[in-house]
Amino acid sequence: MSSVRAVDVKEHEKFKGVYWIEFEDGSTRLATRNLTPGKRVYGEQLINLGGVEYRVWNPYRSKLGAAIMNKLEVMPIGEGSKVLYLGAASGTTVSHVSDIVGLSGLIYSVEFSPRVFREFMQNIIDQGRLNVIPILADARYPEQYISLVKGVDVAYIDVAQPFQAKILADNADVYLVKGGYIILVIKAMSIDVTKEPSETFKREIDTIKERGFDIINMIHLEPYDVAHALVVGKRD
Amino acid sequence: MYVSSTVYLVLDALGIIALRDDGSVVDKLVYDYDAQRIANMLNNIEVGKPTDELVGFINRLAKAGVSTVYVEHKELARNLTNIIKGIEIKAELPTKVGRLFREEFWSKYLKEIYGIEPIEYIKRVNEVSVIQTRLKLKQAAERRDLFIAQAINSVDDLDKVSNLVASRLREWYGIHFPELENLTRNNNEYAALVYKLGDRSNYTKSKIMEALPELGEERASRIAEAAAKSVGASIVEWDLQQIRSLAKLYLDMQTIRENLTEYIDDAMKDVAPNIRELAGSLLGARLIALAGSLMKLALMPASTIQVLGAEKALFRALRGRGRPPKHGVIFQYPDIFRAPRWQRGKIARALAAKLAIAAKADVFTGNFIAPRLKEEFMRRVQEVKTIYAKPPPRKPAAKPAAKPHGKPERKPGKK
Ligand SMILES: C[S@@+](CC[C@H](N)C(=O)[O-])C[C@H]1O[C@@H](n2cnc3c(N)ncnc32)[C@H](O)[C@@H]1O
Repeated sequence: MSSVRAVDVKEHEKFKGVYWIEFEDGSTRLATRNLTPGKRVYGEQLINLGGVEYRVWNPYRSKLGAAIMNKLEVMPIGEGSKVLYLGAASGTTVSHVSDIVGLSGLIYSVEFSPRVFREFMQNIIDQGRLNVIPILADARYPEQYISLVKGVDVAYIDVAQPFQAKILADNADVYLVKGGYIILVIKAMSIDVTKEPSETFKREIDTIKERGFDIINMIHLEPYDVAHALVVGKRD
Repeated sequence: MYVSSTVYLVLDALGIIALRDDGSVVDKLVYDYDAQRIANMLNNIEVGKPTDELVGFINRLAKAGVSTVYVEHKELARNLTNIIKGIEIKAELPTKVGRLFREEFWSKYLKEIYGIEPIEYIKRVNEVSVIQTRLKLKQAAERRDLFIAQAINSVDDLDKVSNLVASRLREWYGIHFPELENLTRNNNEYAALVYKLGDRSNYTKSKIMEALPELGEERASRIAEAAAKSVGASIVEWDLQQIRSLAKLYLDMQTIRENLTEYIDDAMKDVAPNIRELAGSLLGARLIALAGSLMKLALMPASTIQVLGAEKALFRALRGRGRPPKHGVIFQYPDIFRAPRWQRGKIARALAAKLAIAAKADVFTGNFIAPRLKEEFMRRVQEVKTIYAKPPPRKPAAKPAAKPHGKPERKPGKK
């Protein structure tokens, strides 16, 4: 952890609820405002400035963080957003989304591995994040959580599986409101020098389009993550 | 009573709502708010098991003249059809009306149906979903402890069998290349060389290095030299094939063993995170296997956990032969077997006491308290090491380990 002192904080040029922390050595780091002050989720640095506590957002650990570092243009998640998050894992990214949407927002967090979800419960729920609804279920079967989930503004998927686009579209058909956004983390490149989009990537993009979404932003995540891209889509 | 004879059911965490196809509310059932009870109901609905409330509600609709109900859950619709007569139950996901309901839930239906603020609704749904999840996590772990017990026993079986296979391999291949026996440090090295190189004439330094880089140059040349000068019998391909497949069997078993220990570690994270943190996953798994199940382990007093795996010695002691054992399988714990003999019993007792608490936490509360337990245990280890730094003065043995002759004494009334 850096011992360099934080000197200033600025809100992100475009995205409300996302911040840049400036350090005395001139470096800046991405951060969100801690919804549960004093508590950490994944060993991230906590920073107090002007009586407000921020959590540094590590782009090497969170692909949404990496996308923002790489100049994501459209960030559909803001204060008050309702989000369906598929592939919540131990809650690294969910924690920052929870900071951003605040107490008027909501994140339905779906994960199917009991083992990682146990960690999620410790990291997110036991820490008192009241805007998170934990759902231990398989995202391939959206009817499993039909009683819990209501209309969402954003459907996010990062399940590290082939056919993510189909899973996401199936969920969007049930839960996404009109004009809502989707965000996908897709395995993008063959990691060799050619940097050709992989077959999977092309297939996933085709699926999204076939299911009625326009792709409005696509961001590669190097150097934070060499293999993935983050794609934002919208359906009217 | 109802305008439409087709209604659309929407399932919610706090109730069930029946809508017409224009989205207007026909009827609703708002659950009495009891998070625990609702969580149980939702877990049933989720897997398609109808609840009494749901069946009652649909019957009420049927009586009022509704002829068709849409439900957004296939399995649930099928099971309802088997229970409820006189009304048609169809499944569709999503229904048009369901979509509309969810779309306008926050702005319209929430207030209309429950008359509460979003913040209160979210609080309740959060409460319910947290209980639901904890119930599911518990169920997911439920019988897995028996798998863990089988897996750790398989590891022990594999160890026995691989030892047998390895000694047969050494004896057999030893006819051809007897010097290799003393030039390898473990069965794995031996089997890998036999499998990959086969005939002694293949043992050149470069081939050896390629087959097993971790040997290092120096040992590789020594083996190559030995091969060149070997006094062993020559062998033809046909004979060699049989030996090599035995070597392959050994190597495959090692791979399976590795996979099994990884599996055990993952499963222990799931089932018994406290025991795992305290004792390590393999020792923890052995304790579960010896106890019979995680539940049985959790119900054992610390004194029993302390001697699990030492039953033979224990029964011998009970029959009056020898001293009672100070530790069973927990002897495998490094802080115990590395400790001087006279400290072991004390450390074993302290570990068993913490393990008893850890097992109870894993079964009953699910709280992760192992870090605290471990700290307290480590403190006790330090204490034992300082207070009992010196061996105790020898005292005469309470009972001779075994009588020099004659039958063992039997306590009256005990077998
Ligand atoms: C790459 S991780 C997600 C990391 C997380 N999004 C973050 O940034 O913090 C992928 C997760 O998706 C989960 N997953 C895979 N298939 C799933 C499915 N069908 N339903 C729900 N979760 C799934 C895996 O168990 C794993 O935890």
